[in-house]
Amino acid sequence: MSGSSTSGADGPGNDGPQSGSEPTTQPPRKPSMTGQDKFLDQVTALLPALRAFGRSLCGDPARADDLVQDTVLKAWTNREQFQTGSNLKAWLFTILRNCYYSELRHRKFEIEDPDGICASQMAIAPDHDAKLHLRDLSRALQELPVDQREALVLVCATGLSYEEAADVCQVAVGTIKSRIARARDRLVELLGEDATQVTGSLAGVNSLSEPTVNERRSGVS
Amino acid sequence: MIMSEQTKPGEPVEATAASATEQVPDWLGNRLKRMFTDVMDEPVPDEFKDLLKQLEDKERGA
Repeated sequence: MSGSSTSGADGPGNDGPQSGSEPTTQPPRKPSMTGQDKFLDQVTALLPALRAFGRSLCGDPARADDLVQDTVLKAWTNREQFQTGSNLKAWLFTILRNCYYSELRHRKFEIEDPDGICASQMAIAPDHDAKLHLRDLSRALQELPVDQREALVLVCATGLSYEEAADVCQVAVGTIKSRIARARDRLVELLGEDATQVTGSLAGVNSLSEPTVNERRSGVS
Repeated sequence: MIMSEQTKPGEPVEATAASATEQVPDWLGNRLKRMFTDVMDEPVPDEFKDLLKQLEDKERGA
């Protein structure tokens, strides 16, 4: 009588904590390795955005991909500097931008243009029908000063915030805004004819697709 | 992880997005976005996969 009641009270009381105490058993992992794999995985996931940013900066697909390759290498070499949890996209854009600017600086020293390549490229868009050619947005972008171009692209195309774009370009938020305003004014000027057509009908947005980069080369050669 | 980078709690995400569309007309903003996503939709060239593979191998080897 007394024996059964005590064992009945003790039994569940002893069993409960033992069986249900640690429900989460963590599988063994190698934290350092997963950290690195994650970094490279994230970089891989951002490659399309990097290629698009590079192309909008320099306007040349092959050159842009070279920039992205440099960016990936630099990012990997300096991966210790990246703080987990901060914005990898903005960090990579910053590196790509630096690569682009240092390349620009090198190019300035090679501007002698022995093969006349620059001269021939300049001849592509004579002033009087510049507007016609510049219906192509990517071409119009290249007409902008690079600081305006990058500000516009970072905020309006890549989805970075003004603050993030300011970090990438290492300027104040207000500077980004004024650069975007100037870029917008210039593009409205250059693409104005398109603008009236596009705003006329929303359905027209898709049909007015961007011509490929190497369109309208026919008149040159 | 990647998605969360733009939406930290407490940040005025809505306000920022709104001011960007205030600054740039829709037709231009849309074309810029589409120009960008057109490139993003392209398949990534193999040279990048090779490069990433090299880095991965380096990491494991080191």
